[in-house]
Amino acid sequence: MLNIRIIPVVFAVLFAASAVSAATPASPKNVPVKPDLSGFEAKDMPYDKGEAVLLSWPAGPADVPGAVWQVYAASGKDWVKADEFPADKKLAADIELPFWAWDRHAKLHVVQLDMPGLFNDFKIGTEYRFKVKYVNGKETAESPELPAAPKPNLFNLARLNNLLLLIVTTIVFFWTVSHAKRKGGLFIRRIAGLDAIDEAVGRATEMGRPIFYSTGIGSMSAVPTIASTSILSEVAKKVAAHDTQLKVPHFDPIVMTVSKEIVKQAYAESNRSDSYRDDINFFVSQDQFSFAASVDGMIHREKPAACFFIGHFMAESLLLAEVGATTGAIQIAGTEQESQLPFFFTSCDYTLIGEELYAAGAYLSKEPMLQSTLKVQDFGKAFVMLSIVAGSALLLAGTWFKMDTLVTVVKHLFKAY
Amino acid sequence: MTLIKKHIPLAICFIVGLLTLSSYYVPTQSSEKYVETMNKWENIVAGFAFLLGLFSLFFSHTRKITRRVDGWGYSLFVFVGFLAMVVPAIVSNGKQMIGADLTGLGWGYRFLFNALSGTMFSVLAFYIVSTAYRAFRIKSAQAGVLFAAALVLMLAKVPLGQMIWEGLFGWTGAWDIAQIGQWLMDVPAVAGKRGIMMGLAIGGIVTALKIIFGIERQYMGKD
Repeated sequence: MLNIRIIPVVFAVLFAASAVSAATPASPKNVPVKPDLSGFEAKDMPYDKGEAVLLSWPAGPADVPGAVWQVYAASGKDWVKADEFPADKKLAADIELPFWAWDRHAKLHVVQLDMPGLFNDFKIGTEYRFKVKYVNGKETAESPELPAAPKPNLFNLARLNNLLLLIVTTIVFFWTVSHAKRKGGLFIRRIAGLDAIDEAVGRATEMGRPIFYSTGIGSMSAVPTIASTSILSEVAKKVAAHDTQLKVPHFDPIVMTVSKEIVKQAYAESNRSDSYRDDINFFVSQDQFSFAASVDGMIHREKPAACFFIGHFMAESLLLAEVGATTGAIQIAGTEQESQLPFFFTSCDYTLIGEELYAAGAYLSKEPMLQSTLKVQDFGKAFVMLSIVAGSALLLAGTWFKMDTLVTVVKHLFKAY
Repeated sequence: MTLIKKHIPLAICFIVGLLTLSSYYVPTQSSEKYVETMNKWENIVAGFAFLLGLFSLFFSHTRKITRRVDGWGYSLFVFVGFLAMVVPAIVSNGKQMIGADLTGLGWGYRFLFNALSGTMFSVLAFYIVSTAYRAFRIKSAQAGVLFAAALVLMLAKVPLGQMIWEGLFGWTGAWDIAQIGQWLMDVPAVAGKRGIMMGLAIGGIVTALKIIFGIERQYMGKD
């Protein structure tokens, strides 16, 4: 009986509730939101050579799926559509700049416009006009037109980490050099490949056979070639002292010219200027495989007692070293090309690995000033090792404890921009 | 004399070195143009230096021919080869193709030079076999590790190796040789390579500083 009385009441309540519900205003989701374009800015792209403009405006609730932003640029009357993208894309966090040069957390849309790509007659310093347009179906909104002139910047702040590292390296460099001047007597670990030079020259003297020295196929501006010429100087001194025959085939005429001076000087320092011949250094070919074929032929015919392959080598490394190995020559090699090192390891008696190539000149010359710089290399290696350990630990900690800021800071510090 | 042979070259090296270094940090167009100009100068100097190289080549081979040293006959081919390329180049005005037809230069380049270069490159394959044989003669613990790694990689990369592995150990279902090979390439090989690269980078920076600040002078001879 009670249930029968309740049923009309329940219906009445439900009816009233539906009426109230119908009277409730529509939710904010259904109403199109106008974007806020009052914060629209157009300015020169920082830290570039003056060919880009940076546009920014606030990101907000108007960035809904389906909506797009259109970016326009003009040099005269006509507008050029420079970009169009979904409304939830191209945010401040997408700009590839480090935290000390750019605020990645700003809630902004950011567009970087490459001006020479937009205007064929682009000139640095010329003022252009920019605007952005919001389109969401029939709903549109347009920013005011703003002028901006791209200009070159004097310093790329994004490379500040690199510059600081360079400054610290230079300070350590001068400190070790001055320290060597005052104290001297540095301990340097033995490098087997360089100690074997005496053995190689002695062997050539005993056998009456020549020594072949190749500086590789690098140009004179390549650091490995410069390091190689330093080693050539020391080898030439020993060769001159033992009155042995030296042959230096060249790939690059400039390297040949420099090497001639170096070898001549080495003979003079060994008081054997009379033994110096101008054809010790000779040009072969500037084609990689022609060079390899020619030097291979010479090695095969003349059967040298020792071969040195020190400098920049590519595919010819194995062609040269393997022919040298078949003739029974004692072989010492070194290159900065890590892809060629395995070939030298297997074909040569001694191989200079990594920074040993750059340390060789100082190691052989025994000059305190040059040897002191080896200490900088050691400091550098220690710094790299510490950085790897500390960086890995910080990244692990940041990931483990969900500290995104820490992860970003570490990543940016170690990145080259 | 010291001024010309030592001080001026050192000053040029210092100034040019610092300018080139700073161009990395200064993004202006003038710094970009400076680097471009330096590259052009390098090309111009290389062009002149090539003449020096050519004289050196002719001089050394002429000497071999006149003195009848061992293998002097090979030196004749230097001149034959030079004339075989230069004369058609002059006749065809430096063009390798006229319309759809090959000129003498183009024919020589395609059917002589390219074929010979290709032959030299293909010789590498045979040398790799002989060097691998030498490397795999296990004389030390390191050579043993090298051999083991190479064996695994060969099994992993060659289809026949994968078939052999599947036949022998496939029933276990625990080890996939392709994954082991990939791990070797991705982890120990990359770790070793990066270690060498870091050492080289540090050595390169220090050598560059030595040259810029005039501590390393052997490349220009001492007076």
